[in-house]
Amino acid sequence: MTLFSQLDRWKEQGTITPEQHVLLSALSRDEPCSVFLPLNILLYAGVLAFVGGLGWTVQAYAAQLGDVIVLAALSAILAASLWYCFSRASSWSTAETPSPNLVLDYVLYLGCLTWTLELAYLESQFHLLSGQWDIYLLATTCFFFALAYRFDNRFVLSLALSSLAGWFGITISRWPGTQEAAYRQYAILYGLVVAVAGIALRRLSIKPHFFGTFLNVAANVLLAAVLSGVFGREGYLLWFLLLLAGCGASLAYGLARKQFAFVAYAAVYGYIGLSSVLLRDMNDGTTILTYFVVTGIAMLVTLILIARRFRREA
Amino acid sequence: MRAYTATDEEALRILSLLHDWVNQGFLSEAQRQTMEQDTPCELRRTNGFLRLVLFVFTLISAAAATGLFFVIASPVRDGLIVATLLLIFAAICYAGTEFAVSGFHLYRYGIEEGLAILSITLLCVGAQATLLANDSSTQDIAEFLVPAAGAIASYLLYRRFGFQYLFLAAMIFAAAIPQYWTASHTGQHLFVAGFYTAGLLIVTRIRRSHRLDYLDGEYSVVETLLWLGLYLSLNLQLSSVSLLAQWNPNLANPTEFSKLFYWITFVLIWLLPAIVFWRALTIKDRNIIGLGLVVAILTLATNKPYLGWPHHPWDPILLGLLLTGVAAAIRRWLANGPNGIRLGFTAERLSAHDKQWMGAISTALPIALPNPATLAPAAGPEHEFGGGSPDGGGASSTF
Repeated sequence: MTLFSQLDRWKEQGTITPEQHVLLSALSRDEPCSVFLPLNILLYAGVLAFVGGLGWTVQAYAAQLGDVIVLAALSAILAASLWYCFSRASSWSTAETPSPNLVLDYVLYLGCLTWTLELAYLESQFHLLSGQWDIYLLATTCFFFALAYRFDNRFVLSLALSSLAGWFGITISRWPGTQEAAYRQYAILYGLVVAVAGIALRRLSIKPHFFGTFLNVAANVLLAAVLSGVFGREGYLLWFLLLLAGCGASLAYGLARKQFAFVAYAAVYGYIGLSSVLLRDMNDGTTILTYFVVTGIAMLVTLILIARRFRREA
Repeated sequence: MRAYTATDEEALRILSLLHDWVNQGFLSEAQRQTMEQDTPCELRRTNGFLRLVLFVFTLISAAAATGLFFVIASPVRDGLIVATLLLIFAAICYAGTEFAVSGFHLYRYGIEEGLAILSITLLCVGAQATLLANDSSTQDIAEFLVPAAGAIASYLLYRRFGFQYLFLAAMIFAAAIPQYWTASHTGQHLFVAGFYTAGLLIVTRIRRSHRLDYLDGEYSVVETLLWLGLYLSLNLQLSSVSLLAQWNPNLANPTEFSKLFYWITFVLIWLLPAIVFWRALTIKDRNIIGLGLVVAILTLATNKPYLGWPHHPWDPILLGLLLTGVAAAIRRWLANGPNGIRLGFTAERLSAHDKQWMGAISTALPIALPNPATLAPAAGPEHEFGGGSPDGGGASSTF
């Protein structure tokens, strides 16, 4: 039975109203066809290209243009972006607030990226804080968080989280290139701060829909940081126990809240950690392959049981 | 031919739409429950994350089992026996896929997908080993037979199970076949473009009779892939760039093509985005609309290299202004139409899937791309400012 015959049947049975029937039949035929997603991608690509070109142009022509022109141009873009956003945005609410138009989110994102370019230029040219870049990062993080919460903007929230990571001494986009113990500690601290902040803001009912972003970032950073400890030559058993605890918590949360991503995190990080410990000094090909066959099948069976449980409860 | 019945796949489409409509507020949860009871479906699906993890662990365990057999049977050194065993394992993996689907009704579950991909991989490796085991002079034949076997197997498994990425694999394998037929790079590009054009003609013809059923979505992806393949095969600046040449030294330098062919492809890469948009707008296909945007951007980005002109630092600024300007103008034009609709298009979001996609993009990309704020400047003389690269996600900077 096709979708359209089913819709006709449901209308005749009274399951859906005639108005719903008309609407759903039209939607099924792509009438109207929504270009929401392509337009968003076009805007995002446009902002990235623009800021990339801005950075390149400043790099290439900073000496010829002079500081005044460069700073005036960047400040003008920043001011215009912020003016546009504040003049168009709806009033602030703690609940999820849809953007009044498609463009506003990207104008704000453009403003934030321009801000980072301008700060970087200021510091590289004038050394206002004598190279204490951390202060810029912290100020930028606070500014981005304020804007993300004011305008309900996930792009800027992610920028804020990435700036905060920078302030903690790590750059998520580069990590885990460095496996230094110090970086690991910063990463764990960062993960805990992000998790606690997310939980606190959700409890205060301030933009609770951002909680998922906080928790996903925190879970991945924490589990990856602890996993990097398992790869170390010394004290790895303690890290392994921490990893088991972390994976257990992720699994429990995923099962309780039906958040499949956290089940996947637990499975992947846990399996890599377990394999690292068990195969640490193993050189025999037969044993290693047998391990992957047995544990691979065991993981499959476990995950199938979990998937079936979700299916029953859904 | 198809492993799943049309009834089941149509039911899956209906269930997916019901879920979407509830999330969009077009239906109540109570209505959905009633409607779901009228839409029985035997197939077992799972969440995307679990599907991915199941896929990975299937690959790990099945590949390890294959490797274990060869380790245990290590005395077997005869190349032909090894090749035969690889082909047998490919057949076993395929049988496993069939069993998972027919016995357990798995549908996009990860397990059957892992087995299907492993069966194609083992088939290609086994075919290569078989040819080389007989005679090392058969290297030339292997260059043809291995991609041909991969293309045919990928296509047949796509037809059987509907895994759209296997159609992409078939296209990639097919693109490697002409290297055996001709040494001319122009000829190779023409053959590949010919394959994809033939595929497009067939798909557009078949698709007409499936515009209102579950197969339309699948054919939409296939057609999008074919348009993309055709564009890439014709854009000599893209298909010959140094990045790709690192992986495949057989790729030609753009200067190796005849002038006539070079300039014909230049005209075609400007025509193709228009043709793709025309096709997309005619049949209201969002996948092809998205592809039209991609190929239009690629044409703009490769225009200067095609003409031999140098890039300027402000080129990305102009591109960014053009993209945002076009997007804003289209949005405004659509929004000012009656009920926000013009010519059957709207800028409004009508699917909860779009919201999920935007949520994933807006969360992941700003974290994944370099953040200028996290790149510390080095103390030094003035004018050491370093900005982003034109393709650096707009945000990379060094100081």
